Amino acid sequence: MQLAIESVTKRYRKGVVALREFSLDLKPGVLGLLGPNGAGKTTLMSILATITRATEGRVLWNDTDIARDPDVLRSVLGYLPQDFGVYPNLNAVEFLEYLAAVKGLDGVAARRRIDELLDLVNLTDVRKRPLGGYSGGMRQRVGIAQALLNDPELLIVDEPTAGLDPEERVRFRNLLSDLSGERIVILSTHIVSDVEATATDIALIAQGTLVVHATPEELLRSVEGKVWEWVVPSAELTAVKQKFLISSTTRRSDGVHVRVLGEEPPTNAQPVSPNLEDAYLFCLSRHRAGARAGAAA
Amino acid sequence: MNRSRILYHMVRADFLERVRRYSFLLTMGFAIYLGYAVYARQVTLRLDDYRGVDNSAWLGTVIGLIATVWVSLIGFYIVKNSIQRDRQTRVGQILAATPMNKSFYTLGKALSNFAVLAVMVLILALAAVFIQILRGEDTQIALGALLSPILLLGLPAVAVVAALAVLFESLPVLRGGVGNVFYFFFWTGLISISVTLVTGTQQPTGLHALQDFTGIAVVMGQMQTQLRQLDPQVSNAASFGFGNFHATTKTFLWTGIHWTPALLFGRALWLAVAGALALLAAVFFDRFDPARNGLRLGRKQKEAGNTDVLDARFSVVVPALPSVSHLTPLLRDASNRQTRTRFFSLIVAEFRLLFRGHGWWWYAAAAGLFLGCLLSPIDAARSGVLVAAWIWPVLFWSQMGTREESFSTGSLIFSAPRAVPRQLLAMYAAGALLAALTGGGLALRLLFAGNLSALAAWGAGVLFIPAMALALGVTTGSRKPFEALYTAWWYVGPLHHIRQLDFMGTTAESSTPVGYFAAAVLLVLAAYAWRSVRRAYA
Repeated sequence: MQLAIESVTKRYRKGVVALREFSLDLKPGVLGLLGPNGAGKTTLMSILATITRATEGRVLWNDTDIARDPDVLRSVLGYLPQDFGVYPNLNAVEFLEYLAAVKGLDGVAARRRIDELLDLVNLTDVRKRPLGGYSGGMRQRVGIAQALLNDPELLIVDEPTAGLDPEERVRFRNLLSDLSGERIVILSTHIVSDVEATATDIALIAQGTLVVHATPEELLRSVEGKVWEWVVPSAELTAVKQKFLISSTTRRSDGVHVRVLGEEPPTNAQPVSPNLEDAYLFCLSRHRAGARAGAAA
Repeated sequence: MNRSRILYHMVRADFLERVRRYSFLLTMGFAIYLGYAVYARQVTLRLDDYRGVDNSAWLGTVIGLIATVWVSLIGFYIVKNSIQRDRQTRVGQILAATPMNKSFYTLGKALSNFAVLAVMVLILALAAVFIQILRGEDTQIALGALLSPILLLGLPAVAVVAALAVLFESLPVLRGGVGNVFYFFFWTGLISISVTLVTGTQQPTGLHALQDFTGIAVVMGQMQTQLRQLDPQVSNAASFGFGNFHATTKTFLWTGIHWTPALLFGRALWLAVAGALALLAAVFFDRFDPARNGLRLGRKQKEAGNTDVLDARFSVVVPALPSVSHLTPLLRDASNRQTRTRFFSLIVAEFRLLFRGHGWWWYAAAAGLFLGCLLSPIDAARSGVLVAAWIWPVLFWSQMGTREESFSTGSLIFSAPRAVPRQLLAMYAAGALLAALTGGGLALRLLFAGNLSALAAWGAGVLFIPAMALALGVTTGSRKPFEALYTAWWYVGPLHHIRQLDFMGTTAESSTPVGYFAAAVLLVLAAYAWRSVRRAYA
């Protein structure tokens, strides 16, 4: 089971380039796709989900070009888009039965799986209620269930925890971890803690290009000894923000605890253990500095 | 910010949003086509055997009548989406949280609608100038004579339509397909009043001017008076419309509408009616309140419990639920028999989806029409009950090909294998099945009577109606074009048994099944081609 993205470029009308020469090889596991708004994550997801075509380059699923034969991938694909709708007059069972029919699943097997999935996403009690009356989080869970209908080998989930309450979010993270064994899961999100909890690999994407592809451990190692924390008076915070790359600030009784990223420690600062958010910010700032230098040259 | 400035910005933003959409180009294209139709004499105004010399007064009057008669029909369907757009884009929720006044909102929407339709009317005015130059019967452009009928007849009429569109969107019962179908009959009623005035009187009075929405009665009355001075033998026969195939043989010099105070007051009154309708819409407008806009849940559904409250409850310990390992693995089998069975399942799923959201009364009436087809005398069933049976499901057919767009389910559906051809064909089969069921009573009668030619005409209808719905739905992404076009076609063709236009074959004389079989095939292919192009991977 292998997904290979080879030099994919996506150019929209009016010359907007969403992805530029993007390459990535994926094997079973959970890939956390991180990047700022407008980085090209959703475009990449749409290409992998066979919703839109790449302008250049190709995507291979087990060595088959999905642009030439998309159904090879579609029959084993589960896709949860960032924005999706439901038919408000159908209940969860009817909606999932409809999508199971569209996906070509056998009726008896589909019905059993729908029961199990509704149990899994905690919607059994409201299975007969029209989707129009569902909250945003409940609709999201219906979306998760439909993505798992065909027992996918490739599961693509775009911002899956948006709108979920903390309890459901934890449940979904556990679900993703469970799923990752014999399939490829691509999880796109802004929420670094979701990736921290589930991803076996991380791809950081910015301005349509791949900034880094590494395991969480490798990413953390890359910022080892570059994260510092010290306490500054509130009045000095603005000056500190201008001088350092700040990862986080916390107001406490003794002042503002500032967490900064940098090669050299600020005066009186103590080294601290890096987390993924630090690594994300560090890689991103390095990429932007490189891009600026490239543009200036 | 003062009130007029708020109103200005509301109208401006809405207008700009519209004119920057692709659909606005189509709208303008339609206006240009209407102008061309006048030039090509596809649209004609005739009195007995006469038409006017193509001077500014005549062309201005013809274009003015086009604006009142045709733009008032098509224009309604063009602009009846301004509140819906705010709902879909969720801008409405932002607006609802501002101090925005409901009357201001509906008035602003009506003015924006009016601006769009006024642009169409102005394009027609420009077309009139070109037509006069190209025809060359009178090269003297008299701007007053040319523009006054266009502005004074056309603009009040489109103002009423603009406000009516907002009123329809504000009334829950008329907001959707019911309103689209109802407007056609409402418009027919308005036109009928005008036409009755034309045929019922020689000299229109001030009262007529107030009753005459289109202005056609006043115009025809003045023209006939002027013509009679030239030719006292001229009859009252008059017509205005598309496909006026009987060529006129004589011309007369029309000097223009005599704008009496009563006539001007009548037109001004229609403007006032437009304003009143826009303000009336504010009474029914729900201000994007989901509680007033949402689904009406049945008792059973309410008893299902308020899970939103459960959702909001936070618990530190996440209760254990079944894990993924409890899911039954699916066996992947792609044998032919399985594939056929699964396609049949998809047809059933599409058929069930068609019926969602309608009450028991719909089924009761459909059953009544089925029995009517089965039990009425065979000719009456064919020419009468079947016609009713096949207008009844119009709101079901109009969903075809539009649901994926309107409910944003496209990305879920089209990431499935062979989704475009399978789902499209299943949807078409479901639509044809609906037609076969609702008109099925007649098919049984014809079968037992051995009337195969009539049965073929019935079959052509079964295949043609969903094909038309599918093609229009897929290409436009909206239910309105089918609802409007089908209702108009149904009214003109099957209801009046007009040959070539009678796709139901309601009489032996008007039946042309071969053409409609072919049209059905072409329309389904067109729908497939369009969707394949739109969905890059189809």
